[in-house]
Amino acid sequence: MNRIVYLDHAATTPVDMAVLDEMKPYFMQQFANPMTFAHSSPGDAAHVAVEEARKRVASLIGSSAEEVAFTSGGTEADNWALKGVMERVSRERLHRNGHLVTAEFEHHAVLHSAVALQRQGYEVTYVKVGRSGIVDPDDIRRAMRPNTALVSIMHANNEIGTIQPIAEIARIAHEKGVLMHTDAVQTVAHIPVDVRALDVDFLSASAHKFNGPKGVGLLYVRDHNSLYPFMDGGGQEGGLRGSTHNVPGIVGLGKAAQLGKERLAGEFKRLTVLRNRLHEKLTARIERLAANGDMECRVPQNLNIRIDGIDNEPLLMAMNEAGIVAAGGSACNAQETLASHVLTSIGCDLKEAKSSLRLSLGYTTTDRDIDYAVDVIPGLVKFLRSMA
Amino acid sequence: MDKYSRATIREFMNPSNIGSIDAPSGIGHIADEVDAVELTVHISAASGRIVEMKYRIAGCTALIAALSVLSKLVPGKTIDEASAIDMQVVSGLLDGLPESKWRCAGYAVQALHLAIEDYQRTTS
Repeated sequence: MNRIVYLDHAATTPVDMAVLDEMKPYFMQQFANPMTFAHSSPGDAAHVAVEEARKRVASLIGSSAEEVAFTSGGTEADNWALKGVMERVSRERLHRNGHLVTAEFEHHAVLHSAVALQRQGYEVTYVKVGRSGIVDPDDIRRAMRPNTALVSIMHANNEIGTIQPIAEIARIAHEKGVLMHTDAVQTVAHIPVDVRALDVDFLSASAHKFNGPKGVGLLYVRDHNSLYPFMDGGGQEGGLRGSTHNVPGIVGLGKAAQLGKERLAGEFKRLTVLRNRLHEKLTARIERLAANGDMECRVPQNLNIRIDGIDNEPLLMAMNEAGIVAAGGSACNAQETLASHVLTSIGCDLKEAKSSLRLSLGYTTTDRDIDYAVDVIPGLVKFLRSMA
Repeated sequence: MDKYSRATIREFMNPSNIGSIDAPSGIGHIADEVDAVELTVHISAASGRIVEMKYRIAGCTALIAALSVLSKLVPGKTIDEASAIDMQVVSGLLDGLPESKWRCAGYAVQALHLAIEDYQRTTS
């Protein structure tokens, strides 16, 4: 097989071998339903495995185990936090439709949930984000209304990687008695994430963004009485989320969380160096290249650049032919030819947005991968520019 | 978006006839801000037939591939034959272009037709 340099870890990551090994027994040998633990030894073994995973996840995000609810991924966690909180607070505390504050550059799991809430009569404010790609807490303060029920701001943006001042925004929300959610899908296991330090009430994360399996994630829930269930069913997850536990997935998430915690400090440093080298060399070798969003306040695994006069679609095609996999916008929208909503929300015009490239690194990224990318991409840019 | 055919990717990676013609018989220029596209098609024509087509392009994969196959198709064609070329023809030459890409690749055909009109204006 030809060499593949995979620089699309923000879309998804490979499952770590140690994660897969730990998951394997839970497909066949240890297949029992954890909810049968009281009268079944196999069920008890599965239950113990699920609870061990919960502890590992809690240890990664600085919560208690009881505050971790497993979901099918980041999208479900976001849907649940927004819809479950808005409905409960509106019905039980406000006695009228509540108001949600979020930002224009959120992931579609949040944005489309917000639109769904608007369809049902809830109010939503989408605050604007400047060129830095960082939400101004004062904009959140100004967006507050008497019926604001929830503020939802992502911890780091999925396209440009900029880290948001969540603790400060949470303080503003809490001063008004408003709950705070953050979509931390791009930060958990990549930068230190501590729910107490962030002072959030809800936090979403997804296993497959840090070398765990797809189809499993979590919602951190500080107070179980602060939101309605999203998946009604059996009594799983303390009655918060029905559906038989995805035991292999949850075990995989737990192992990925454990590994993520062990590797975090080293990977943070290593990927920062690699990402900066990628940025510096591309900037030196490609004229009229600029970074999208603040370069300091950014997760180490993300680089998002725009290259003047280049359409990202043929560049990505040419890179793919050369064995380099990256992204234009986010993977969830790769099928749209529209410019990224994240980039237009931070003030890029359509042409700038369509000339942008996201290169995202991960645990499996090597020095050689970066050397190859900085050797090959400038030539492809030259090739495309030579046609214009 | 559906996948591109291998033929489209091959054409895009090795495009033919990029450039311009000195003293062209006709020029077709299109710039579209929303699609972030800019292209210029030059044709030379003699005795009612197209002799050569060249182009400059900043645009998507489909558009580059479409221009490349068109530039190889039109030399030798009469003006009427070249005017009759549409996206069905271009798509066929690319082993099937995804329909989601027709709008953008269509600029190639449009620019060729503009160049032909330009030629006809100057000769009539």
